[in-house]
Amino acid sequence: MNTAGLFAAHLPGTSAVHRAPLWLKLAGVLTVGVVPWVAHSLTPLLVTLGLVLAAAGLAQLPVRRVVRSVRAIAPVLVLLLAFQWWAQGLPYAIGVVLGIANAYLAAGILTATTPVTDLLDGVVRGARPLRRLVDPEVVALTLAVVVRSVPWVAGSFASVRDAARARGLERSPRAVVVPTALHVVAYARSTGEALSARGLTDPDVPDVPDEADVPDDDTA
Amino acid sequence: MTPGSSAGGSSRIRLEGATVTVPVDGDSSRRERTILGPVDLELTERRVTVVGANGSGKSTLLRLLNGLVLPTGGSVDVDGLDTRLDGARVRRRVAFAFTDPLSQLVMPTGREDVELSLRRVHRSRVERRSAAEGVLGRFGLSHLADRSVHELSGGERQLMALAVVLATEPAVLVLDEPTTLLDLRNTALLRRLLAGLEQVLVVATHDLDLALDADRTLVVDAGRVVFDGPPAQAVDHYRALASRP
Repeated sequence: MNTAGLFAAHLPGTSAVHRAPLWLKLAGVLTVGVVPWVAHSLTPLLVTLGLVLAAAGLAQLPVRRVVRSVRAIAPVLVLLLAFQWWAQGLPYAIGVVLGIANAYLAAGILTATTPVTDLLDGVVRGARPLRRLVDPEVVALTLAVVVRSVPWVAGSFASVRDAARARGLERSPRAVVVPTALHVVAYARSTGEALSARGLTDPDVPDVPDEADVPDDDTA
Repeated sequence: MTPGSSAGGSSRIRLEGATVTVPVDGDSSRRERTILGPVDLELTERRVTVVGANGSGKSTLLRLLNGLVLPTGGSVDVDGLDTRLDGARVRRRVAFAFTDPLSQLVMPTGREDVELSLRRVHRSRVERRSAAEGVLGRFGLSHLADRSVHELSGGERQLMALAVVLATEPAVLVLDEPTTLLDLRNTALLRRLLAGLEQVLVVATHDLDLALDADRTLVVDAGRVVFDGPPAQAVDHYRALASRP
């Protein structure tokens, strides 16, 4: 299930955004994510949106991919806008939606301009000081799976919505939300199983067990 | 095409009274239901196939072999490594390929997925990239390496999934119904590829032609191995089982 948006795969290129160091891109995404928390009006959010779109343009990302990415989360944004409008008023609702859309697009630009393996290497380096607490490779793998899951979940939502529409149930939130949730759980289980089967979640042990680990045939 | 150059082509898989039980759904008294076993087997052949109806226990039997499922009774060992005690080492020796390659491929592109497999083998990024290039080249997949896995055809995806699990050169490759989602042309392609592998293969399949292409075939029914022997006789036994009302 795929929306072929910004999160689908790395789009090789030679733009300044592609060539920017990973730490700078991560700092950019972080900054975009922080703006809604510190902004007191819609202006900074609109400026951020402009900068994010400019970065997408600078990276020469196909417009249709950007549009597809936004379209994939549009139903969620519309629901969120309606709820926040009802609960907090229109300006607040627009601010929330803009903040999420900006962060989503910035993360999409990061993944579209950076090979996932470079992201993994960067996260492993960043998590190395915490290696006594957690395996940096597992942290990196978790991040990679999250990145991979975004388009899948969006695609699942779109497929379920189409199926509901085909049955004349497009107005029933239950007909969309429940199957999507079940799909996501099944997807999480199959992904976990695939990672386990490949030994990617195993501790880093030597290929040959220590002699002390091997049971003696006579006593086993 | 000769991937798995260090695989060696021999292995010993031993199941002793291996049983898998699961809790009975909706039963508060914690009753359990046996879905497989007890199974006693020693597999030393290079090509073993497993046939049986849907829900017969084939997949559970296969999952026991690389520790994806642990026996609730008895034991399973691969070349002396117990799946319960030495799961990580067993999984390095025994690769597992799922029916749906999209379950297997967790990265956006094949190249990134092969590199993911190689992360624990090659710490250096340069070495990893070079090794991944070699793996993709051996499978004839270099031209597809940077395409989204979602944009590949069913056959290309299945080949990519195999490249991904064989990148670490395991000794044994377990495949769970590898041709179920493939058309005739891709099924033939996959069979040619499997025939050229040096790894020990254990394949569960509904494709009886593929089942016959083995040194030994197991028939699984209702959680038990009900026939174990030459492929032609095993397939006849399975046909007889399937024709019962």
